[in-house]
Amino acid sequence: MRRPDGLFDGAARALSLRLASGMTRRSFLGRMGGAVLAATGGAAVAAAVRPERSEAFHFCGHIWTTGSCPNPLGLPRIDKNGFPLRPSDGHPIDNLGRAINAEGWAVDGSGDRLRSPDGEFLPRAPRTRLCEDWTNEHYKIGSVMQGAWYRCCNGQVRKLVDCCSYSTKRINGDASLTGYCFDGRRVFCVLYYDSGLKC
Amino acid sequence: MVETFTPAVCGSRSRQRLAIALFALAALVASAALGATLGFVGSLVGTRPALIAAGALAFLAALREAGILRLPIPQSRRQVPERWQYDLPLPLWSAGYGAGLGLGFLTFQPVATFWVACAVALALGNPAAAAACFALYGAGRAFMAVWPRHREPSGPAAVERLVGRASFVPRANAVVLGLAVVLLAVAPAAGAAVTSLGRGFDPAADGRTLARARMHSGTIRVLVAPPAPAPTDTVSPAKAPALDGDYLAYEDGQGIKVIDWRNDSLVRELDGSYSHPALDYPLLAYIRDDGAHERLVLTDISKPNLDEQVIASVRSAADLGRPALRGDRLAWHRIVHGGSAIYVLNLATHNRRAIKRTNVWMEANPSVTSRRIVWVEHRPQGSYLRLKWFGSKQTKTLMHVSGRKTILWTTALTGRTAYVTKWTPSTQKAVVLRVSF
Repeated sequence: MRRPDGLFDGAARALSLRLASGMTRRSFLGRMGGAVLAATGGAAVAAAVRPERSEAFHFCGHIWTTGSCPNPLGLPRIDKNGFPLRPSDGHPIDNLGRAINAEGWAVDGSGDRLRSPDGEFLPRAPRTRLCEDWTNEHYKIGSVMQGAWYRCCNGQVRKLVDCCSYSTKRINGDASLTGYCFDGRRVFCVLYYDSGLKC
Repeated sequence: MVETFTPAVCGSRSRQRLAIALFALAALVASAALGATLGFVGSLVGTRPALIAAGALAFLAALREAGILRLPIPQSRRQVPERWQYDLPLPLWSAGYGAGLGLGFLTFQPVATFWVACAVALALGNPAAAAACFALYGAGRAFMAVWPRHREPSGPAAVERLVGRASFVPRANAVVLGLAVVLLAVAPAAGAAVTSLGRGFDPAADGRTLARARMHSGTIRVLVAPPAPAPTDTVSPAKAPALDGDYLAYEDGQGIKVIDWRNDSLVRELDGSYSHPALDYPLLAYIRDDGAHERLVLTDISKPNLDEQVIASVRSAADLGRPALRGDRLAWHRIVHGGSAIYVLNLATHNRRAIKRTNVWMEANPSVTSRRIVWVEHRPQGSYLRLKWFGSKQTKTLMHVSGRKTILWTTALTGRTAYVTKWTPSTQKAVVLRVSF
């Protein structure tokens, strides 16, 4: 379980990173000036953001345990082969989070291929597996998908998958558990696959 | 200073108000001009050294103001010349006083903060932004001429009251300078000065000349803008410009053309399925597409027969993008289903290496000089303009656009200035940004 203060620290780190990397130096200095003034009111805002709700509920079928594997759109929804899907409707997406067609080309809401400013079709972005490729690139831990378990979510069977490695730390930063991993591996992060089978 | 603007000196209430207004205006204009000058100098010398200097100065100044360190500061012991009141007409001396105090360095400075502000204005590297920031210094000067009289009818008495509280100022100043040190320490991660140059895409730069493509009435044309006052040259229909001095390479319906853009004379023409030229005359790199494969080709266009050298090849579903060629270095991207990479080939040594390789993100659209490379890294959270010095392991982020609605696209690089297309796919609106670092 992730502690509330850990969640708050994470939010602060994310805010710092966003402030530092998301702006030009000029806008950064300007906004930091504003942030100093805003800090006086910050305590009230912090008090209003209660972490307990998001602590308890990770996603349907998965409560109180290991965090999500890295993914494009916030939830680690995958297809049967481990490639990313849009969490809201299961549409295939590329690694940039863009909807793609059957050939992997980025498409708009009408299904038409996206074009660059000069009218040429945009290149296909990479589309790689969340456990074996994304998690490995981020953490260099030799992760693989192994054990799974099942829950009923939104009227269909959801397969929850452990992304396993030999790391003794899990993605949350604390000690990893064996879970459904085998061959000495432990759970580093989790993914899910909606089967479409009614339950 | 405060007692100068009294009816006894100015002659009447209305003349006093006039004097204060002129004083304030001149102080604002002078301090803004100082800021603009410093910002301009910063844009010429590069902002990183000035940023480091500003951080170091702020640290020393904070120690000085806290009384921990005894440090002399550059100082003019003069005050405003008193004889101006008697020799010059009121509008002139009041404005002169304002200008003198607004410039700051002509008169006595009790604290070191002014010099830190000068270094920060240099670090901004942007005349307009530095002028706006420094104008606040002039506003502060004007405020101090007006405010004491607001609560105290006697100007000198008001000044005495302020002096009585003077011990508070160094402590507050030390805290503010300490905060400035922290902000300046994290500022390098925040990138560089960014200026929008208006509509267009696919920039190409050489020195102070910038070429770009622009959509006009359904046709794409290439604009070549040399430094003012030389007029902008237009080539139409044309796209994907590449620039090297007076030579311009571009793509049109037939293939690639290389022209002398100053007199519009044709230098070389390559008809066929050629696209995305990169030019470092007489070398020309381009993409040749035979339907099944995309190939990156390098050739010498000064020779009568083109001797094509294939540098890289991918299947047509993958992408080699828009190559870049400058200073004996050829750079390109390779985007495939399983990842992407930025490659650089040193033409002098034939050494080829991956500058960045990833299984996750999309690394695209590099531009090179003999010393540096920039490219765009696309992530779900946004796109990042990255910079790397050849020979260095560190990568710097010059700027960042959040989200997927607007992204960074093609780049150009010359000296310490990068150009990048910022593009919104849903509206097809594209602008070229200049990024000074």
